Amino acid sequence: MNLHVAAKTFLAGLLVVACASGSLSLAAEEDLLAPEQAFRFSARLIKPGLVEVRYRIAQGYYMYRDKFRFAAIPQSIELGEAQFPPGDIHDDEFFGRVETFRGELIIKLPVKSGGAFTLKAVSQGCADVGVCYIPITQQARLVPARISGEASESDGKSSKLLLRLPDAFPNQ
Amino acid sequence: MNDRIARSAIVTLAAVLAISAGFWLHPWNRNAGPAPDSGSVAPLIAASLPDLNGKSQALGQWRGRVMVVNFWATWCQPCLEEIPEFIRIQEEHGSRGLQFVGIAIDHADKVRDFAAKYKMNYPVLIGESDAIELARVAGNKLGGLPFTVLIDRNGQLIGTQLGRLNGEKLLGIVEPAM
Repeated sequence: MNLHVAAKTFLAGLLVVACASGSLSLAAEEDLLAPEQAFRFSARLIKPGLVEVRYRIAQGYYMYRDKFRFAAIPQSIELGEAQFPPGDIHDDEFFGRVETFRGELIIKLPVKSGGAFTLKAVSQGCADVGVCYIPITQQARLVPARISGEASESDGKSSKLLLRLPDAFPNQ
Repeated sequence: MNDRIARSAIVTLAAVLAISAGFWLHPWNRNAGPAPDSGSVAPLIAASLPDLNGKSQALGQWRGRVMVVNFWATWCQPCLEEIPEFIRIQEEHGSRGLQFVGIAIDHADKVRDFAAKYKMNYPVLIGESDAIELARVAGNKLGGLPFTVLIDRNGQLIGTQLGRLNGEKLLGIVEPAM
């Protein structure tokens, strides 16, 4: 056996080891992310009365538009209709027309509240390998920043700067 | 030239063997033997859940048959894809002691519609958080669907699968237990 053949045999051997360790298996359970990691949630108030909800969706995972539900605690705080960017439209054999999201998803959510509240977000998504997660609930505490007395209501730009808030990350 | 062909053949054969080894040594197959944590299906076998008519059904009633307990939902597309094959396998192997039981994490009306439309020929029960917990105890740590639990005639766990389970694979696991 010359060197060339020996090298190929060695590589084939490596392939055996790689396969045996399960790294080429398709839906290996150990390769799946926990739903909180697959669908990373955060939310922040970007201006008075408007929440920006952000999902960082891991590669190989997607979320269903019609499964999102938002609620505020206390319940007396009223949420408006969530505004979604356009997603990917599919004609599904079982579900008909469905809209899904991949990558980064930013949802705008109007809120009638001047004070602090907790946002609860229910969502549901799947992995391309053929596993769907049961709906998960994630939440963030949203606290408006102290507004400077000098802020001008009519000056949207400066008030936006004054009201810029740190991201509120979910309690997990 | 002939030498080159021979070398290519050797490498191709090695690759085929490697891929086969990958399948055979996959965790699924490692679960095929007696499972070390067989006690974890005890809560599942001891459970009772409502059927599509709201009547409580004990899973223990199918003890003595080889059980394929499939956790699914109508909102889960990969779950729906495997059900027609499950129906066919139940039809073909039911008389030999194979018993599918579906546990839907879903609303009963949606499951009823689906079961009627697809002419499901095995019992379907409705589960909520209690059923999710039963699946978790049986090994479904991530809360994913579909999740299938294979149980032998003595109530021992012989395999679990998260994600779609094709019929050939399923039969390969349950055949020795039948």
